[in-house]
Amino acid sequence: MMTMTSNEKKVTNKDLRQIMWRSLTMEFGWNYERQMHLAFAYMMAPLMKKLYGDDQKEYAESLERQMEFFNCTPQFVPFIGGVVASMEEENSKEKDFDVSTISAIKTALMGPLSGIGDSLFLGTLRVLAIGIAASLSLKGNILGPILFLLIYNVPAYIVRYFGVKAGYNMGTSYLNKIQASGLMDKFKDAAGILGVMVIGAMTQNMVVVKVVAKFGTGKTATSLQSILDGILPGLLSLVVLYIFYVLNKKKVNVLWQLLGATVIGVLLTVWGVLGV
Amino acid sequence: MSNVGTSLLIGLIGFMGPLDFVIGSNMLNRPIILGPLVGLVLGNLTQGIIIGASLELVFMGAISVGAYLPPDVIVGGVLGTAFAISLGKGVGAAIAIAMPIAMLSLAIGNLTSVIFPAIAHIGDRYAKQGKPGGITASLWGIGLIECTRRGILCFLGYFVGNAGMKTLLGMIPQNVIDGLQVAANMLPAIGFAILLQMIINDTVLPYFFLGFLLSAYLKVPVLGVALFGLIIVVVKLHNDKNKPAVSANGSVEEDIDDDDDF
Repeated sequence: MMTMTSNEKKVTNKDLRQIMWRSLTMEFGWNYERQMHLAFAYMMAPLMKKLYGDDQKEYAESLERQMEFFNCTPQFVPFIGGVVASMEEENSKEKDFDVSTISAIKTALMGPLSGIGDSLFLGTLRVLAIGIAASLSLKGNILGPILFLLIYNVPAYIVRYFGVKAGYNMGTSYLNKIQASGLMDKFKDAAGILGVMVIGAMTQNMVVVKVVAKFGTGKTATSLQSILDGILPGLLSLVVLYIFYVLNKKKVNVLWQLLGATVIGVLLTVWGVLGV
Repeated sequence: MSNVGTSLLIGLIGFMGPLDFVIGSNMLNRPIILGPLVGLVLGNLTQGIIIGASLELVFMGAISVGAYLPPDVIVGGVLGTAFAISLGKGVGAAIAIAMPIAMLSLAIGNLTSVIFPAIAHIGDRYAKQGKPGGITASLWGIGLIECTRRGILCFLGYFVGNAGMKTLLGMIPQNVIDGLQVAANMLPAIGFAILLQMIINDTVLPYFFLGFLLSAYLKVPVLGVALFGLIIVVVKLHNDKNKPAVSANGSVEEDIDDDDDF
């Protein structure tokens, strides 16, 4: 990487903590053009002042640099903030530092970190939190929403807290290292296993399709639902999920899926096939 | 409480929703959280919790991944819960109301968001002068417009819509309302399907069925299934660590990312 002209560190733990706290604003000010850039610049601004404040021109340039396009899973942003902090620190010490590498590294980090971050936080942890909380909430238990917040946010803040330090300490070499070791993919698979198991359980639990139609009349009538339950409890939930999965794969607009499901649900109920 | 007062409080909940984005994206703006708040305002906390959770399941897939903007769950969730409680029509009605409102609010949001880049450019001007205060102001400018839009929509929706909704829902026959409930019970599958598409591959696919079967035959609750999953993950990571490393070009079969067969 780059050689240090001085070993003296300008970035303190306090600066890093400030980056972490300011990263909480990440999804505010979102816009189509550069997405999270305003919050990113807000996050880095105090450190830029500290590093470049003596030279107004350099300071302004550093602020403009932070205003470039940015988008990432919010919980992983402090990590990127830490990496950028270490690079900006280098730049402030070294005359011939190529600042375009800062943008390049930032951009290179956004993609993979969003990939793993979204699947970890939105795909796994959130699903876990909803799965556990919803069963309580659907019974009217106030513990539901409380548990939802705790399950999602305790890990989220741990990742933020340690992320900013890890990003700063390990700088740019860190990500190359874990990507090369294949740890990233293993981690993603592990999160995936947990996620799909919970989705499987939730499909069985929370996607409810009940057939009320019966064969025959009077006392000899056989409930279709009991036959289906004999094969596999929740079989129809699985069928419904599969249909939506295929529709999603074919990129059918979610709105049409919702409308279609609602119309079909209402029709089948009015005709006496399905029931509450 | 007067209708104006109630509507203002409903509007306030809508205003506070997007504020979560400035304090850490803590999922405070999801129906499972806002529903109970709406319930509290309308004097029926329990219904708020129940309807909020039902809407959470339906809107589960409505998350912004990348640049995809989902239906506005904040306005849809708040008004859906509010109307369903105040008109006493339950979960089915909540979903029937929330869905079109969420789509409508997204459309209105798309209109207002056209001006956001212009506001961001003000931030650029200040950055160029080395004044970070202008960046912060742009950030809050855009954010507060989003809050205000949601607040106004929730306030107006509840204030103007209550009577209309009552008439509208009164005209719908009971078996159609039942049908909406039936549909509502199926809709979480949409969210699950979207998520599955995001994370499924050949490695993890069998575990989906493991979770399903644990629930179907052994009636293990979701938390239990998650704990089983945790053990599997720990064991698997441990085994992987003890295995000799795979050479860079010799790909392992189970790691092939293939989401074609589900």
